[in-house]
Amino acid sequence: MGAIEDEEPPLKRLKLSSPGLRRGLEEEAPALSVGSVSILMAKSLSLEEEGETVGSKGLIRRVEFVRIITQALYSLGYQKAGALLEEESGILVQSPTVASFRKQILDGKWDESVVTLQDIDQVEVEGNTLKAASFLILQQKFFEQLDKGNISEAMKTLRLEISPLQLNTKRVHELASCIVFPSRCEELGYPKQGNPNANQRMKVLREIQQLLPPSIMIPEKRLEHLVEQALNVQREACIFHNSLNPALSLYTDHQCGRDQIPTMTLQILESHKNEVWFLQFSNNGKYLASASKDCTAIIWEITEVDAFSVKHRLTAHQKPVSFVAWSPDDKLLLTCGIEEVVKLWNVETGECKLTYDKANSGFTSCGWFPDGKRFISGGVDKCIYIWDLEGKELDSWKGQGMPKISDLAVTSDGKEIISICGETAIVMYNLETKTERLIEEESGITSLCVSKDSRFLLLNLANQEIHLWDIGAPSKLLLRYTGHRQGRYVIRSCFGGSDLAFVVSGSEDSQVHIWHRGNGELLAVLPGHSGTVNCVSWNPVNPHLFASASDDYTIRIWGVNRNTFKSKNASSSNGVVHLANGGP
Amino acid sequence: MGLIFQEYLPGPRIFKCSNCKAHSAAHDQIYSKHFQGRFGRAYLFNSVVNVCLGPKEDRLLMTGLHTVNDIYCKCCHQIMGWRYEKAYDDQEKYKEGKYIMEKTRMLKEGW
Repeated sequence: MGAIEDEEPPLKRLKLSSPGLRRGLEEEAPALSVGSVSILMAKSLSLEEEGETVGSKGLIRRVEFVRIITQALYSLGYQKAGALLEEESGILVQSPTVASFRKQILDGKWDESVVTLQDIDQVEVEGNTLKAASFLILQQKFFEQLDKGNISEAMKTLRLEISPLQLNTKRVHELASCIVFPSRCEELGYPKQGNPNANQRMKVLREIQQLLPPSIMIPEKRLEHLVEQALNVQREACIFHNSLNPALSLYTDHQCGRDQIPTMTLQILESHKNEVWFLQFSNNGKYLASASKDCTAIIWEITEVDAFSVKHRLTAHQKPVSFVAWSPDDKLLLTCGIEEVVKLWNVETGECKLTYDKANSGFTSCGWFPDGKRFISGGVDKCIYIWDLEGKELDSWKGQGMPKISDLAVTSDGKEIISICGETAIVMYNLETKTERLIEEESGITSLCVSKDSRFLLLNLANQEIHLWDIGAPSKLLLRYTGHRQGRYVIRSCFGGSDLAFVVSGSEDSQVHIWHRGNGELLAVLPGHSGTVNCVSWNPVNPHLFASASDDYTIRIWGVNRNTFKSKNASSSNGVVHLANGGP
Repeated sequence: MGLIFQEYLPGPRIFKCSNCKAHSAAHDQIYSKHFQGRFGRAYLFNSVVNVCLGPKEDRLLMTGLHTVNDIYCKCCHQIMGWRYEKAYDDQEKYKEGKYIMEKTRMLKEGW
């Protein structure tokens, strides 16, 4: 990119430069070639005034551009190329004073560096910054002297050089205490080392760099930083972006087509004999568990590429199964009947290991702790219980005010338990501090879903909206998603896609709805089911696969259109779709 | 069809559907006890839960002409009473938006 652009602008700018220069250049114009163009550039630059720009919009200043390119060349290790560019362009990355300043700091020559500091162009540097920079240098000198054991030298530095600066007297007092208590050096961030550590000096250099204006000392890796910023902006603007590979191509603007999100039914699973109410992918993405009104739960397994087959059929419940939960290591599965007992199953063998029962148990949902050894369950009797894997009840407490707990979840760090409290509120118990936080909502909450990183909470409300909450320290409502139908039944939604970029939900109009999480835009409405879609689950490992459960007794597996997807993958080496056909 | 979303009432004294025991209304939402429904005594409530509405129709009741919606239990579709959508008499305007629930169709719980 840089090389090509460097050729073009000078030819354009030949017209813009001052008349005197133009006359001089026009005489040489016939002898244009790559080499002479660069010499011309150098000449035009030596007579350059402010405002020479590069690029079509005139936003980039030529001098700055060349300087950061040179810096990038040096940092990539191409010393000769960097030196050649400096010579050809006549623009130095840093003035010789700054170069010697850097060297002095890295070598530990403190007094010389303070002197050089004064020499650096005084016009651009204010008095205060000079003082602050000197303070940092002298502080490092002080610590190194203490390190070596030259206490009298250190005291001299402190008395004669640092205190006259009259900056940050508190810090000066702390430094003084370091002489008496050497251990305090560690607290102030300078661990005792035998030899002066290059890292410490780099740190000082970086701190000084932040004080001085950037035109004197360019921040490190500036070009990489700018390019990454641009890529970030492109990525955020691309609403269909859904791929596992984080690296983007620099050759074209990144823009995913709509076919990055799964919109095609790949498979219909019809093993249930009644409505399917719940389903969830395992944490490793290899299994799918579904729960149905026919009182059974089925564990499905992915055999070949996206083809599911029944692994086990779990048939021990007396009542319709309404909830399943995978253990963090995917070896155990919990199933809950509606207001019935909780059963623990072994995924490999399909046997029921244990049944958890309470007096008049009416468990409705459960959740695992991240250590996989305990889980919680809540139900009709308003209490939340913690159980372990042997069948013992470890703890229980009574929630206040709620008639029945219809849904609960554990955050993935195991610190908080989130449950629906009453009709319109969510309560989050913090297990360590034993405190609670409340989130008030406008209408009845039918189901909740917490994201894997425990930052976001998705609530399905009875007024046909889905609300996204940020459950950080002050929790706040971020977005509302609408467009689906919900009024009578419990409809569930979940996060999905790479980086949790999408929100997908079922609906009473038999269609699956997918929204973009960031801007709330409805991306896709997928027909196909012939009954209310009760629950959806996105594969946590494969961002192009999700499943939906419906009242028409079937489960549909959705994926991307494999033919077009594969051919596009072949044409670009890092999975970026070139054809920008991101239209609806 | 699907797991029906039921709302649950917290208060100690509540009324439930006589057929399926789903919660219907809370005792503190009673506005008046002196009403006559189709099957006997009925109460007027400010708000009810777990009901779905039927279509609007104009009916001549003891107190005059009103536009009402019949209400059915969400879970078992038993007819529970009706809701006043519009009252044509100024004296009856206070009933608009409130629900009549038949006493015979409800079970008491909590007292």
